[in-house]
Amino acid sequence: MSGQVTIERLDETRLKVPIGYVQGMAVEGIIYVDSVLQNYLEPDAIKQVANVATLPGITGRSLAMPDVHTGYGFCIGGVAAFDIEQGIISPGGVGYDIN
Amino acid sequence: MRDLVEVLFKEIPSGVGSKGRLRLSRTDQERLLLRGARWAVEQGYGEPEDLLYIESGGAIEGADPSLISEKAYERGRAQQGTLGSGNHFLEIQYVEEIYDERAAQVFGLFPEQVTLMIHTGSRGFGHQVCTDYLQVMESAVKKYGINLPDKELACAPFNSQEAQDYFAAMKAAANYAWANRQCIMHWCRVAFMKVLGASKTELGMHLIYDVAHNIAKVEQHTVDGKKRRLIVHRKGATRAFSAGHPEIPDRYRDIGQPVLIPGDMGRASYVLIGTEQAMKESFGSTCHGAGRVLSRHQAIKRAKGRAIWREMEDAGILVRSAGRKTLAEEMSEAYKDISSVVDVVERAGISKKVAKLRPLGVVKG
Repeated sequence: MSGQVTIERLDETRLKVPIGYVQGMAVEGIIYVDSVLQNYLEPDAIKQVANVATLPGITGRSLAMPDVHTGYGFCIGGVAAFDIEQGIISPGGVGYDIN
Repeated sequence: MRDLVEVLFKEIPSGVGSKGRLRLSRTDQERLLLRGARWAVEQGYGEPEDLLYIESGGAIEGADPSLISEKAYERGRAQQGTLGSGNHFLEIQYVEEIYDERAAQVFGLFPEQVTLMIHTGSRGFGHQVCTDYLQVMESAVKKYGINLPDKELACAPFNSQEAQDYFAAMKAAANYAWANRQCIMHWCRVAFMKVLGASKTELGMHLIYDVAHNIAKVEQHTVDGKKRRLIVHRKGATRAFSAGHPEIPDRYRDIGQPVLIPGDMGRASYVLIGTEQAMKESFGSTCHGAGRVLSRHQAIKRAKGRAIWREMEDAGILVRSAGRKTLAEEMSEAYKDISSVVDVVERAGISKKVAKLRPLGVVKG
């Protein structure tokens, strides 16, 4: 984690993971949690949302739903969209329990 | 209720590595991987009408059985039509609360109605596909010089051979999962008919919807005012398209796509609908469940000396489980409160509550 950049509360249900939270983020992250569910938010899951934002072709924002927890590479509860021309596909973004 | 739970437990194989009543030849498996739930209906498991209410009609185009390893075929051979273990379940539930009358009516939901929810996926088959292709991607990362902050993010450029191979294998696994739930749903209907002595028509068990929550799909979304074709990854997230989207069944088109949110076995599950806001900010996606707060190990420690089944029975929920540890791992305390998770996605505007379902009988792996 790059020292100074910290997550910010945007509103009652959204946290922002700003660009710079980890090196190389192309877009920001959004985690949908209120102040109660934020208590369950694992630092590793936040880092995973940020890490996904560094992947080639990431579009819009790297997202995590309120049932977020740490997973294999990508957090569980994560949504990430990549450009069809410039982007990637990753098995970790789907997980082991396909469908 | 006890009879129903017993019969479901007996009829639908559950537990780690559980084997089903189907033993599929290689040709059968290949057809299943191409045709998903359509294959199941062709075998007599369910009704053609069911397919209208499954995401992607129960099969995604472009699956390629030639890209599946022998090991995956071996694991998949006897597991079609089985529940598996972990958080997967069969639940007999009832509609405790309706939040959106109009949507509930269109979906055929009403207060105190009994419902059945099936939560399972592609079993060992999909697990093996993921394992196999993580290896392929590790080499691809080197080959294409992709700089990763974490090696678990192994990936390949979408247009590369490696990526296209994974995508076609993942589609096969997705189709395996749709076939699996279709077979299980059919046997559940048969079990209900048997126990209740009712005909198919009397029972009226129609499928409301079947939706994936671990999948990657090519979709069109508007980003910064521009229409873009994207490869959307949802991992523990559910597609939640808003009203009017062409992928929503005709009957629901004016309402929005039904979203099923399986909760933990002691509290509740929800039916939601997708919203315009979800299309704008979350690529038409929402949450998928409660999400763990205790690791499996922590949960087992916390449950030591307790009879979880009895605690549930005292709360009016009958439960049967194949695995000795499953009930400890899966107890409510191991999960966030599903209602607070669903409240957040509703307040954020990315989905809207339609109904809350309470468990009455639970079958666990």
